[in-house]
Amino acid sequence: MKKRIYHYLVILVAVIVVNFLLPHLLPGSPLKSLVGENPGDMTAAQKMGILEAYHLNDPLWKQFLYYLRDLFSFHWGNSYSKRQPVTTLIASRMGWTLLLAGSNMILSTLIGTALGAWSALRRKEKKDLPLIISTTILDSIPSFWMAVILLAVFGVKLGWFPIYGAYSMWENYTGVKRILDILHHLALPLLTMLVTSLMGFFTTSRYSVLQILNEDYVKMAKMRGIPGNRVLIWYIMRNTLVPVFTMFMMEAGYLLSGSVLIETVFSYPGLGTLMQEAVKARDYPLIQYTFLIASVMTVTALFLADILYSKIDPRLEVLNDT
Amino acid sequence: MIHKKTAAAGWIILICMIAAAVLAPWLAPYNPYSDMFATYLKPSPEHLLGTNDIGQDIFSELLYGARTSLEIGFLSAFLSIGIGSMIGIISGWYGGNIDRFLMKITAFFMTIPFLPTVIILSAFTRPTPCTTSIILGIMSWSGTARIVRSQILNLKSKEYIQTIKAMGASNFYILTRHILKELLPFLMYRSSARVRSGILSESSLSFLGLGSTVVKSWGTIIYYAQAKNALLTNAWIWWILPPGFCIILISCSLTMITYGAESKTDRRLE
Repeated sequence: MKKRIYHYLVILVAVIVVNFLLPHLLPGSPLKSLVGENPGDMTAAQKMGILEAYHLNDPLWKQFLYYLRDLFSFHWGNSYSKRQPVTTLIASRMGWTLLLAGSNMILSTLIGTALGAWSALRRKEKKDLPLIISTTILDSIPSFWMAVILLAVFGVKLGWFPIYGAYSMWENYTGVKRILDILHHLALPLLTMLVTSLMGFFTTSRYSVLQILNEDYVKMAKMRGIPGNRVLIWYIMRNTLVPVFTMFMMEAGYLLSGSVLIETVFSYPGLGTLMQEAVKARDYPLIQYTFLIASVMTVTALFLADILYSKIDPRLEVLNDT
Repeated sequence: MIHKKTAAAGWIILICMIAAAVLAPWLAPYNPYSDMFATYLKPSPEHLLGTNDIGQDIFSELLYGARTSLEIGFLSAFLSIGIGSMIGIISGWYGGNIDRFLMKITAFFMTIPFLPTVIILSAFTRPTPCTTSIILGIMSWSGTARIVRSQILNLKSKEYIQTIKAMGASNFYILTRHILKELLPFLMYRSSARVRSGILSESSLSFLGLGSTVVKSWGTIIYYAQAKNALLTNAWIWWILPPGFCIILISCSLTMITYGAESKTDRRLE
């Protein structure tokens, strides 16, 4: 256990150091990364002033200490393309990403696992081929492309869903109406995300149910006359818990990766769009800290997964220690 | 049997796509970089898929785009498999502190989120097909390294390797003559999977506007189509659908090849 915590701490420190070094390692003057693409418009005195203000004339180790202080006191600097503090921007966008990615995770876990188990229980050897073909094709569709097509068909052509944002900006809905409005905006991005993440849960759950179905204890339970539903839930589905949980935590860890593309297509005001806008404007402070948030989220999710494994299945703890 | 057929079908599609990419200058009716026509033309016999916002022939763009997508797919896979197998082999073969150190680095690369990292690396550099491939290669070797390492550990304890070692063969000789041979089927299988994800990642990056600004790829075609609001007119049907179908087709063909190769490696492991 201690070893695991130590392992993740080392990785976390590495992430923080890399995040500090990135602007230093890559080509181009640091001025560019602070004030934008055109430092040429400024006078030499102004340039020196900025270098001084950001401690860029100090030795690297001193800069690193300043960076650490700012990092932990949440003085993450200003985004120059949006003229707002980075922390404010991230905080205001976080909620939307959590809503989109969170509902996607819950729904895809439930639906994917159920579908996978269902298809395993009803498996007929000869009918595997269509399933393999359709999963192969579904797995090959780039998520952004599917998002664009769904937007074109259901948003623009049929007009069933709004094509922009997370809520109607020009209306002042309150109460139930506001919730419905938000859900209406959520539908298409969520659908796209669902289709892309369902696959993982589907195959995982299908595979583990297929493996367990032929176990002796399942057959025994059936012979003992335990009702079918009970066998299904307490004997079969229980064993899909660990693999499904692994998938779930992977999804949680790579949450931002999935949402960058989809949020961008639907102009959904979450962290993913923020990152994409930052990249487009070459807004380096903003890029740097959205990256940091993404990495910390991943490390945390993997760490939690590791800890919770032993809670779900104590046998794994023993395996880990040896 | 079915594995063989699937893999064969996959190879046929892939070879056709490669041929189209290589022969693009002869197959394409126009040069998408220099020939200009009226903008936003609808599909017609002269322009099978119409023209884009600056009057380039979309069908020709598609053929030339195959070059970039395949180039980046193969180059990034080559780098990723190269780095991954090298680190895996060194780590597994020599063990000890080198192993521990290399595995820490591998764990680090496994943990950092792929797409955000690739995005910021591309944002900090000026993207060309070459830098994109390098970035994708550097960010995707960790899985291969881990599996290669565990396979090496397995092979190391095999009797015949022990015997050759006892006969005084050098490490270099054993690694190149015997170990690499054993690893080859796995590396083949892994490579086709990597080419596939290289192509998909490239298209995602280009779609975010992080592709090369001079060279066309399927992702950049979709990026420009969306930026020019092809969605609001019917233009998306011939401007956005075809490059997407190309990506899906090539990705499917590589999955089929992987599927065939997978069964082969399984048989060897048994």
